[in-house]
Amino acid sequence: MQTTLQNTSPNKTASQLFNFWESFKKSGTGVVGLYMIIVILILAIFAPLIAPYDESSTANVGISDIYQPPSAQHWFGTDDAGQDVFSNFVYGARVSLTVGFFAAFISLIIGGSFGLIAGFFGGRWETSLMRFTDIMLVIPDLPLTVVIVALTKPSLFNIILVIGLLGWTTTARVVRSQTLAVKSRKFILRARAIGASKPHIVINHILPLVMPILVVQGVLVISLAILNESTLSFIGLGDPSVLSWGQMLNYAFGRGALSSGAWWALLVPGLGIVWIVLGLTLLGQGLEQVLNPRTDTHHLMPSRLPLSKEALVKPLHQNTLFEVQNLSIHYVGEGKAPAHAVEDVSFTLKEGELMGLVGESGCGKTTLMLALLRLLPSAGQIVNGKVFFKGKDLTSLSEEELNEIRWRGISIVFQGAMNALNPVRTVGDQITEAVMKHEPKFPKENIPARVTQLLELVGITADQRDHFPHQYSGGMRQRAMIAMALACNPDVIIADEPTTALDVMIQAQILELLDNLRKKLGLAVIFVTHDLGIVAELCDKVLVMYGGVTAEYADVDTIYNNPKHPYTQELLKAFPDLTKPKKKLSSIPGYPPRLDALPAGCRFAPRCPAAFERCHTEQPALHSIGNNNHIASCHLVEASK
Amino acid sequence: MSTEHFLEVQGLKKHFEAGRPALFSRDVQKVHAVDGVGFTLRRSEVIALVGESGCGKSTLALLLMGLEDPTAGTIKFEGQDITHLNDHERKDLRRKIQMVFQDPYESLNPTQTIEEIVTEPLVVHGFANVPDRRERVVKAMEDAGLKPAEVYMSRYPHELSGGQRQRVVIAAALVLEPEIILADEPVSMLDVSIRAEVINLLAELRITRQIAVIFITHDLGSVGFFADRVAVMYLGRIVEIGTMLEVLENPQHPYTKALISVIPVPNPRLRHERIILKGETPNPINVPSGCRFHPRCPVAIESCKASDPPMVTLSKTHQSACLLLVK
Repeated sequence: MQTTLQNTSPNKTASQLFNFWESFKKSGTGVVGLYMIIVILILAIFAPLIAPYDESSTANVGISDIYQPPSAQHWFGTDDAGQDVFSNFVYGARVSLTVGFFAAFISLIIGGSFGLIAGFFGGRWETSLMRFTDIMLVIPDLPLTVVIVALTKPSLFNIILVIGLLGWTTTARVVRSQTLAVKSRKFILRARAIGASKPHIVINHILPLVMPILVVQGVLVISLAILNESTLSFIGLGDPSVLSWGQMLNYAFGRGALSSGAWWALLVPGLGIVWIVLGLTLLGQGLEQVLNPRTDTHHLMPSRLPLSKEALVKPLHQNTLFEVQNLSIHYVGEGKAPAHAVEDVSFTLKEGELMGLVGESGCGKTTLMLALLRLLPSAGQIVNGKVFFKGKDLTSLSEEELNEIRWRGISIVFQGAMNALNPVRTVGDQITEAVMKHEPKFPKENIPARVTQLLELVGITADQRDHFPHQYSGGMRQRAMIAMALACNPDVIIADEPTTALDVMIQAQILELLDNLRKKLGLAVIFVTHDLGIVAELCDKVLVMYGGVTAEYADVDTIYNNPKHPYTQELLKAFPDLTKPKKKLSSIPGYPPRLDALPAGCRFAPRCPAAFERCHTEQPALHSIGNNNHIASCHLVEASK
Repeated sequence: MSTEHFLEVQGLKKHFEAGRPALFSRDVQKVHAVDGVGFTLRRSEVIALVGESGCGKSTLALLLMGLEDPTAGTIKFEGQDITHLNDHERKDLRRKIQMVFQDPYESLNPTQTIEEIVTEPLVVHGFANVPDRRERVVKAMEDAGLKPAEVYMSRYPHELSGGQRQRVVIAAALVLEPEIILADEPVSMLDVSIRAEVINLLAELRITRQIAVIFITHDLGSVGFFADRVAVMYLGRIVEIGTMLEVLENPQHPYTKALISVIPVPNPRLRHERIILKGETPNPINVPSGCRFHPRCPVAIESCKASDPPMVTLSKTHQSACLLLVK
């Protein structure tokens, strides 16, 4: 692939490097580390120009030159041989860096290939290579290094070799685990399906994704190698013909620098070692932040306080549980324009009512649901509107007051929540805990009966109560999550895509369950989904959202048989209808807008088949149609009134 | 060559070893992932394999692709037995059978540009230096709906939406000019408004390029308008197979009937009684005796527990395996 795509690869590499630098710049520690390393590199490369004295020139040294304190001639004084400490320091940087780079190179090659082979091929290769790695890992490095160097001639070459040959173990482990992670990804299977050979897969698919980890690891291995070399030299096993920083320490320490008060002879090389190891560690940290997305941190703004301090109490309509008025939510990021995730959404929910909240991913439906309970991440802020629950304005309550309502008044079943069960505790235990946590006053002796009752409500028999989550299927875990949500007899359950990852039959079972619960317990349910079909089967009314705004809001019959908003109409056409097989599905061209780059006019206009000029410049208001609470935000509706 | 024998699968089985039930137990437990599947595929035909998770449909896909080795049975392609080919022998065949995966977010390498992704199959198959390489890549991309191709070539997967990524996967399959595309749940991760687009694209390809499509899905609803034939799978077997209209409008197997009844109908006026099966597909380690569907079957009779139903021919194209149909 490298050879065949030459026409594009230089550009690609250049832009990748640029992007990399842009994000690397943001990590302060990384940049500091990089500059620290550059200073040492310059010292090492231009040593003859920088050093005021020649390397180990002892020609003009007299007895009075030994351990001279810092002066104008000798900035950092002289050492035990009367040589200029600064000059030796500058030349010593060459030795330390040489050892560091070459030894790390050896380590990375060995560790990298061991890790790759073990991770990719698995089986016997993996067992033998990783056992070997484990053995090497158990043997303490330093004593072994000392023994080997002591046995061989302590030349620079030998030292590099020994440090390199012993320092690969962590690299092998890190590379192996990354290889395993990459190998299990679907694009590797796709490459195999194409017919790609194993070497091709390793070079083109595995290596590019292992490389970042290898780079980070490389920086750390270099610093370890330098440290090892210094240690060896300090204990007198260094190459006597070259003067590394460790060697400088060794000579100074061994030849009375301490007793004669010549601190400079020890301090300067010592600081050099600290400087380079610190620099490499900082650089490694910076690289890791950029290259390893797992350590990516989000910069969040502090959470905003409730909008109004005085709690509003709204006169309650008959049976109304929720009344949401003109709710707007923005996501505010550092240095970014706020993302208008939800804009001016209103709806009401009565007791025992089932409302469908329909929209594609990114339309703001989950944000809206989280905002109802003020569970938004701290970047998400309610900038306008009111949420009345049983007449209380939730946007103005304190956290303590809200906690009274969360779970008791309103509970949520999250998407994929079934995977959030603790794997090492039985389902019964976890429900018991939920009851105890949310209902501290509940009489202890009645809890087991209550748990059984809750499980029975969702169709889990008593003998399955003490099973562990892994003994449950996906559908049963979702039932257990619903049981937990019912623990405090809430008035409303918000179900956020509770069936999305499930099979059609299990989906039907869960829907039937929600419907039964509603009839049995008088629960109101807000059902969040992208699936129009489910909504038609189940709901009383429907709120269709698009790009953060209400597209249409009406009772279920109107939505399906008399939709007014073009988005609703198109969405219905795109939905496969088994009652009309052979009918061609029509798709909506284009893609939903990104919330940080919304179109100027109607948010659906770029995809709308009926859009006209005004739609692209002016955002349509919410127009009500007829008398039965049918609302649509479309200029066409206004025109037809 | 006869069009009947374009792809022919007979008695295909795949049993995975699942370890021993106890530490010193003698026999090894087996997962009967695919347990005797047979069907044929004609040129430029679309067949839908429908079933719940655990029915073995994804294992079947891997078997057909040669990514897993079958325990028993044969797969014939254009009359040639391809059941046990090694990687070298299979290479030419891989060109003709391509696969589209479920998750377009995972099935593209994030470090490659779209051009590299679509070009890769050509490189792998030694077409890297053919003079019309670039034209072939552009044509595949535009046939997959990435028009104009130049706009997308230098982009990375993360810069595309889910629907566009699935088009990239399809383009990478088309570039080798395959004869069969095996699509494993290609739309289940996509938004509804975009699903139709990908399904329509696959439907077009069979007309413009005469490609046969094996469409694997758990959602019978999505196959309605473009599949020629539908095969319903349960626990490693095909329980009913027929033309799309035969299966959707006149289902014979109780499992098919239940599956069809729970497909949501997007009209509240057409709400109907749904046959909601209890429980879930059993673990394929312990396959029920007799008819493997009997524990969940709403109409099972006593003999269902004992005898495994044979495939009953209902019409030239329609077959179903249910004892109630045996006369």
